[in-house]
Amino acid sequence: MEFDTQLLYPHDQALLAVMIFVIMLGMGASLTVNDFRAVARRPRGVLVGFLSQFGLMPLIALGLSVVLNFDPAFAIALILIGCLPGGTTSNMFTYFSRGSVALSISMTTASTVMALFMMPILLKAYTGRFIAEISAGMRAAGAEADFVIPTGNIISSLVLVLVPVAMGMVLRRKSPDWAKVAEDTAGFVAVIVILYLIGTAFIRHGALFGQTPWQVYAGTIGLGMVGFFFGYWFSRLIGMFPLFQRAVSLETGIQNGPVSFAIILLSFREPVQSQMLWLAILYSTFIVMSSSVITLYFRKRGKLDYDIHKNSVIHNRLFGENYVTEYPEGFLPRRLLKDPSQGSCPAQVRG
Amino acid sequence: MNDRIQAENLALLYREAALRFGEMPAFATRKSALDWSPVSYREIYEEGLNLATGLIDLGVKARDHVGLFGDNRYEWMLSDYAVLLSGAADVPRGRDITDNELLYIIDHAGIEVAFVENEDLHTRLLSLRSRLPLLREIIVLDPEAIPRDGARSLNEVTQLGMSLRQQGDRRAEERIEAIVPDDLFTLIYTSGTTGKPKGVMLTHANMISQIRNLPGHHNCSDRAISVLPIWHIFERVIEMYTISFGGCTYYSSVLTLGDDMRNVEPTFMASAPRLWEKMHERILKNIRSSHPVRQILFHIAYFLARNYTVSRYFITNKNLKLKPQPLWKRALFMPFHLVRWVIVLPWYGFFNAAVLERVRLGAGGALRETISGGGALPIHIDRFFNFIGISVMEGYGMTETSPVISVRSNDNLVVGTVGPPIPETEIRLTDPETGELVYPNSQKPRGGRAMRGEIWVKGPQVMKGYYREPELTSQTIVDGWLRTGDLGMITFNDCVKILGRSKATIVLSSGENVEPEPIEMRLQQSLFIEQCMVVGQDRRHLGALVVPSLNEFRTAGFDVPTIGDISASPEAKRIIRDEIRRMTAGGNGFRSYEQVRAFRIMRDSFRVGEELTNLFKIKRHIIAEKFEAVIEEIYSGENGKK
Repeated sequence: MEFDTQLLYPHDQALLAVMIFVIMLGMGASLTVNDFRAVARRPRGVLVGFLSQFGLMPLIALGLSVVLNFDPAFAIALILIGCLPGGTTSNMFTYFSRGSVALSISMTTASTVMALFMMPILLKAYTGRFIAEISAGMRAAGAEADFVIPTGNIISSLVLVLVPVAMGMVLRRKSPDWAKVAEDTAGFVAVIVILYLIGTAFIRHGALFGQTPWQVYAGTIGLGMVGFFFGYWFSRLIGMFPLFQRAVSLETGIQNGPVSFAIILLSFREPVQSQMLWLAILYSTFIVMSSSVITLYFRKRGKLDYDIHKNSVIHNRLFGENYVTEYPEGFLPRRLLKDPSQGSCPAQVRG
Repeated sequence: MNDRIQAENLALLYREAALRFGEMPAFATRKSALDWSPVSYREIYEEGLNLATGLIDLGVKARDHVGLFGDNRYEWMLSDYAVLLSGAADVPRGRDITDNELLYIIDHAGIEVAFVENEDLHTRLLSLRSRLPLLREIIVLDPEAIPRDGARSLNEVTQLGMSLRQQGDRRAEERIEAIVPDDLFTLIYTSGTTGKPKGVMLTHANMISQIRNLPGHHNCSDRAISVLPIWHIFERVIEMYTISFGGCTYYSSVLTLGDDMRNVEPTFMASAPRLWEKMHERILKNIRSSHPVRQILFHIAYFLARNYTVSRYFITNKNLKLKPQPLWKRALFMPFHLVRWVIVLPWYGFFNAAVLERVRLGAGGALRETISGGGALPIHIDRFFNFIGISVMEGYGMTETSPVISVRSNDNLVVGTVGPPIPETEIRLTDPETGELVYPNSQKPRGGRAMRGEIWVKGPQVMKGYYREPELTSQTIVDGWLRTGDLGMITFNDCVKILGRSKATIVLSSGENVEPEPIEMRLQQSLFIEQCMVVGQDRRHLGALVVPSLNEFRTAGFDVPTIGDISASPEAKRIIRDEIRRMTAGGNGFRSYEQVRAFRIMRDSFRVGEELTNLFKIKRHIIAEKFEAVIEEIYSGENGKK
């Protein structure tokens, strides 16, 4: 598909930049140095997160692009989103889906840092054939140069995005009260951003929704959903407890949307920029909806194992850390037989 | 999934719980904030058998009445186990029982063996002993109290029973087998809003039916906090219910409740309106003292939650329906609610997650669905909690019905009502004056819904009768129908709405009937009014006794050390007058004869045990008697008049 005009006018872009700044500041405000230390304490969980976020997701994105026969610009955008680190939204959804918030935060933290190295490598590895297609198109249109992935620009945009995160962390140290405000405001702004982008697109380019091929809808919705699915079963295969499966699943499917806006705006030019941006907007919109649905499902499905986990933790909190809760026979789900606390209390581990 | 134990009587319930839940903690006692000691289902059952054998050896016979005077603690529950396992019934009352009540109850119930909780009760009972010829044995619960003058410690009796059981004594087992469902498990003397205490006879079958019929999905990973008085039937039914699915009951106290809620993170509990009011105050205080941006966020969140929830209630037919609603009217409003619901949903979703969840965590951790009983929940508190996502299940019942008659459940959450009757329970409304059947009555318009009447109840939870009061029993239970003395109506979603005590009804000299409770509840919504009682029987207009809120007057800048000082201030009097006028203004749905036209500010607050019942309900006849002169004064001079 072709864009006659720019999707976003310069003043929209400026506004978007401010909002990305606020969101990333809020993300930083929710992090502490301890969260980074915690990454080291959970090497296995973080490794699983790493594998599913930088191993599975880019492959899923690539696979969807090929299977759905995407335009090259859309394909690059989808792969770019597939390579993104996790965002703070995943922590909130994990909390409500009765998953391990601690693991979710660790994975977000680790992947944000890791993205600096991984994103350029992965993009280079997976986007080759699409780049060739674009270049061929450009040459046919009379351009001189080939299309290249602006690796340097991507890294500098990532670094730029991390600046407000660092500022947020400083804010948290200086004034926890303001940090809380920044955190809440960021969440609020994130909702506004998505609605604003969708809203303006709808008003200015109402026809866009109709022109967008169904494959793009399938891809943007599918990326998150397939990510949830693989994250869930991959961590199950590794032998993780349900509590952590839910965290890995959501962390895998939910990517840091605002970072993709920043990278696309700062690193890409037309003719691909508008298309890429449009795909990022669609992904950000659908991921909120599909995460909500998945969260409701996890919440219901995870109630029993979460209640048992919680009860075991509270027993150890109140009755001493050596207390062992002996649940009646036939009560524990098979997966919790060995450790009803799901890895939270050493004393609760059986034989 | 139903994880509840179905047993024929409570002794079998205890036995089955020990078999099924074995080493799971059944009860936990607080030593410090993060140090609690658990007792398992097996332990309490075995201890209970030992103690029961000790009791049998001390001469407790099947179907005897054993006194049990004390408040919530593990030893209370152990004694209850022992009494039931020995085939007897207990007669429970709290620490605050008066000497006169002790004398009356021990004599009336024919108590020979009594448990007392502490030193104070022990001493008082010893000094009354000469007037209690029947009382043979006193057993002291508190391990730290020293038994004197022939009294025994709990441990002594348990040891006695244990050595007997080691020698093969199985009399307790024989007693358990001999229990029939119609045997009493408890004899509860109600503090009696009128006259002398009445002994309510509740049977094993009564309580077992409650365990079977209470709504809820719980299992052995649930935690309950116990803070309401255990000898009150409402707390007791919750503890019995908890045993039936293997949950753990944590004994808290009013002083440590806030901490304990955070540490224990109870999943449910028996609660009373007063607790919710306190929690409501605490939440609002926290919000007022938080960052201005966060205050704004909370207000947005609450606004969204209100709109979302109200529309959801409408769409799912859970709105309070006191009037018949024609189909076309519903159809007319439905699009509005559907649209509002859809528009608000994403915003509500976000604010619910980001703002309200934190408020809920601050209020009560894992608490999600909690039954409130023992008095009417003020509607604004009710709405507040249901809007912010803590489902308050208001229930209705009385000691005579063991106690639950009706309760809201998640499927039937109509705010402003006490839900539909629980299974196996029939309700009928009768005109208190004419005795005519109001509901269910096909002769009446709409089958008698939305019409006021006295609530009559029939069901497996209805008591056997009042002990040694056959006449009173036959006045209260007629043809199997228990007359509650409460006024109510049935809404159009078949829930019960309570409209006040028929006996509390004030008849003005003009002949108008006034229910004081809704007016009092309304007045108490004023921050300046802590408690109040509306009076006016046979007078030309209503009056009120008002206990002002010391805190609020201090906040407003009054230099008042005590409540007495407020009553002396003319400025305070003006404030209260304006508040009363504001609260009961015609626009708020009060008719002109329902306006409070005169009042007196009390010099002291109403106290539990004196003017208030243990569940903070006002004892009308006591207050009317005690403050007769003040009430006279309201109606005599110009003072306090408008």
